[in-house]
Amino acid sequence: MSVRASMFFHVLKRGLLGRGNRPLIAFVALSVAATMITAMLSLYYGLESKLNRDFRSYGANITLASADEQQLPSDAITRARSTLGPDAIIAPFAFAIGHTRNAQAVVVAGTDMDQVRRLNAWWSVSKWPDAEDEALAGARAESHLQLHQKGFVLDFAGRTLHLQQTGTVKTGSDEEDRIYVPLVTFERWTGMGPSLLEISAPGSHDQIISAVAKLQSAFPGMQVRPVRQLLQAQGGVVSRMRSVMLASTLLIALTVALCVFSTLTSSVLERRRDFAVMKAIGSSQTTVNALFAGEALTIAFCAGVLGYVVGSAVAAWISQANFHAVVAPQLSVLPLVILADVALALLAATIPLARLQRIEPAGILKGE
Amino acid sequence: MFLRLLYQSFRRQQRRKLLAGIAVTLGVAVATAITAVGVNVGDKINRELRTYGANIVVYPEDAALQVRIGDQEVKPTSSGAYLKESTLPNIKGIFWARNVLAFAPFLETQIQGPSGPIRVFGTYFDKQLRFGTEEFSTGVEKLYPWWKVRGEWPKDSSSDVLVGSQLASRIGKQFGDSIDFSGLPARITGILSTGGAEDDAIVAPLALVQQLAHAPDAIDKIYVSALTKPEDAFARRDPDHMTPADRDRWYCSPYANSIALQLREVFPGARAEQIRQAAQNEGTVLSHISGMMLLIALAALVAAALAVSAAMATTIIERRQEVGLMKSLGATASTIASLFVCEATLLALGAGIVGFFLGDVIARRIGQAVFQSDVSITPVLLPMVIFLSLLVTIGGSTAAIVRALKLDPVLVLRGDA
Repeated sequence: MSVRASMFFHVLKRGLLGRGNRPLIAFVALSVAATMITAMLSLYYGLESKLNRDFRSYGANITLASADEQQLPSDAITRARSTLGPDAIIAPFAFAIGHTRNAQAVVVAGTDMDQVRRLNAWWSVSKWPDAEDEALAGARAESHLQLHQKGFVLDFAGRTLHLQQTGTVKTGSDEEDRIYVPLVTFERWTGMGPSLLEISAPGSHDQIISAVAKLQSAFPGMQVRPVRQLLQAQGGVVSRMRSVMLASTLLIALTVALCVFSTLTSSVLERRRDFAVMKAIGSSQTTVNALFAGEALTIAFCAGVLGYVVGSAVAAWISQANFHAVVAPQLSVLPLVILADVALALLAATIPLARLQRIEPAGILKGE
Repeated sequence: MFLRLLYQSFRRQQRRKLLAGIAVTLGVAVATAITAVGVNVGDKINRELRTYGANIVVYPEDAALQVRIGDQEVKPTSSGAYLKESTLPNIKGIFWARNVLAFAPFLETQIQGPSGPIRVFGTYFDKQLRFGTEEFSTGVEKLYPWWKVRGEWPKDSSSDVLVGSQLASRIGKQFGDSIDFSGLPARITGILSTGGAEDDAIVAPLALVQQLAHAPDAIDKIYVSALTKPEDAFARRDPDHMTPADRDRWYCSPYANSIALQLREVFPGARAEQIRQAAQNEGTVLSHISGMMLLIALAALVAAALAVSAAMATTIIERRQEVGLMKSLGATASTIASLFVCEATLLALGAGIVGFFLGDVIARRIGQAVFQSDVSITPVLLPMVIFLSLLVTIGGSTAAIVRALKLDPVLVLRGDA
C-alpha cells in the first residue's frame, strides 16, 4: 500500500473513530432512517399475505360441483387435494331431505366436521360433534326435531337414523335450517356420496383465480366456481391497502430523509476547519472529496445494516401485535435500504462540500 | 429592541428561515396527511367490504324451514308468514339509519317452465322510496355490486325481468326475448350472472312477483347492508340483562346486533339476525387494518418530530457566532433563549398552518387516488397539529439553544469552537 493510500485510510479511520460524537450523530440519524424505511417496506410486503390470510376466514372461496347436481366421483377429494396442495381446506358436502318423526322435511347434510370447522371458523357452534352418531343442528331446524333427551330420529326413504344432538349452529343464513351429520354416517344411511366441495384455496385474488383454472382442468365437465363476492371484496381491500401503505411509506421516507439531510449537512459544515487544514497542507480537491465520501459511505453502510436489523424487528413486533403473526425479515429490502442510506449520505455531503470549495481555506481558518 | 432583533432575524436570514420553515411544513404536512388517511381508512375499507353484500337479514318470526337442495325443493306447507312491503321505508327511521347503505326485499315463487319449475325472485333493482321527507333509492344494484348483467337492468315499475345465465342457456333464451310468466308476458332485458342461486332463476320486479304469487304487499326476506362496528365482548352481551346505562350505550353503538334489534323494532313479528359470515369476518379485517394505520400514523408523527427537531437544531448551531456576539454585548442567557424560542414559535405557527393545509391536500389526493372519494379532515385536528408543531419545534430547538449558550463567546467569535 502506498504511503498516500495508507495515509488516506489513517485519516478516514481517525475521522470515524476519534472525533467526539459527530460521526455518532450522523450514524444515529442514518440508522433511524434505515430503521423506518425497513420497517415500512417489510410491513408493505408482509401486509398483503396477512390480509389474504384474514380473508380466508370468510370460508370457501371456490366451490366445485358436478354439472347436473349428481354425486362427485369418489376420488374427487384426493384429486382436488393433490391439485391444490396441503394448504387448501376441502370440505365435502352431501345433501338429502330427511323427515322428522312428525313428518317435517329437513335438509340433512353429511360432511367432514374437522374440515368444516377449519373452513367456517365464523360459525357460532355450541359444541362440535365428534362421534359418528352425533349431529349438529341448525338453530331454526332444532325446534322441529322432537328431541328425546338429546336423541332424535330421522327418516330417509324408509331407512331410520338415530342421532344425538350435541350442538347448535348459528350463522344467520341457510345453514340454520339444516342438520349436519358426519359424512360416514350419512353415506351409510343414504348410500349417497358428496355432491359439492367447498374449498378454501390460499393466496391472493390472482392465485385463487389460477387455482380455479387448475381445478377446472383437473375436473373437466364439473362446475368450478370462484365465490365472486368474496374475491371482489378481497381484491378491492388488498389493492387499496397496498396503495395506502405505499403512499405512507413514501411520505415517511421523505420526512426521515429530510431529517438526515439537515443533520448531515450541518455536520459537514461544522468540519470546515478540517477541510481547510487539509487543503492548506496540500491535499487535492479529489482527495478531500474522497475522504468525506468514504466517511459518509462507511457510516451509511453500517447504519443501513443496523437499521435493517432493528427495522425488521420493529416490523415483526408491529405485525405480531396487530395481526398475531410475524412478518419474516424481507431480504430483498436490505440492498434497497443500504442503497437509500448511501445515496442520502452522499447527497447530504455533496452539497455542503460544493459550497465549501468556493471558499478560500485561509478564510475558513481565520474564522470568517 | 427585542422585537427589532426578532424582526431583523426573519428579514435578514430568509434563506435559513425558509429551510427550517420547509422542514416544519413538510413534517406537519406528512403527519397531518397520514393521520387523516389513517382515521378515514377504517370507514373506507368498511365500505369496500360492504361490496360483500348484506350483513343483516330480516325474516318473519314463524317462517317455515327452508327445504331445498339445488333444484329439488320440498315445498313447505306455507305458514303464510310474510313481512309487509309497505313498512319497508321504516328502515330509514331506525337510530342507525345513516349506517344502512342499502337493502332489498325478496319474495320467492315458482313458475312452470318447459322442463320443470323455475324459481322466480322478486326484488327491488333501484327503487325510489320515500321516508318522511327523505327520498332515497335502494335495491340489488346497490346491495350486490358484484352481480353482472349482460344487457340492461329492468325498471322496478316495468314487467321486464333478468334471467340467470345458466337458466338462459338451458331454456335457450336471450335478452330481448320474451318469456311467458303464467299468462303475463315478460320481456327479458338482461342475462344475470352472480355465481350463486340466481344464475339458475329469474329475477323480476317485486310488484310483478307479488301479482304472480297472488300475495299483494308480501315479502319473505329483507337483506340489509349496514356499516357496523367490529364486534367485541360488549357487543355479544344480551341487552335484556344490562343496566339501563349499558343498554343505552349498546343500543347507540353501531354493532350488527344492535342494528338487528332496531330492525326488529320497526318490523313487528320479524326476526333480524346478523349474517355471521359477513359480520364476523369484516370485523377481523377492519380491526387489523385500523390497528395497522394507527401504528403507521404514530411512525409518521415520530418521523416528523425527528425531522423538525433536526432542522431546528441545525439552524441554531449555524448561528453560534450571533449568540457569541450577543453574549459579549451583555445579553443575558434568558434574553437570548427567549429570542430563539420566540423565533421558533413564530416559525412553528406559520409553518404549522401551512403544513396543515398542505397535509389536507395530500390526504385528499391519496383519498381520490386510492378510494375515489374524499378523505375528510376534522377541523379539530388543526389546533392539535399546531400544538404538536409548537411542541416539537421548541423541543427540538431547546437542546441546541442550551448548547449554543454554553459556548465561550471569545472562542466562538475567534472561530475556534
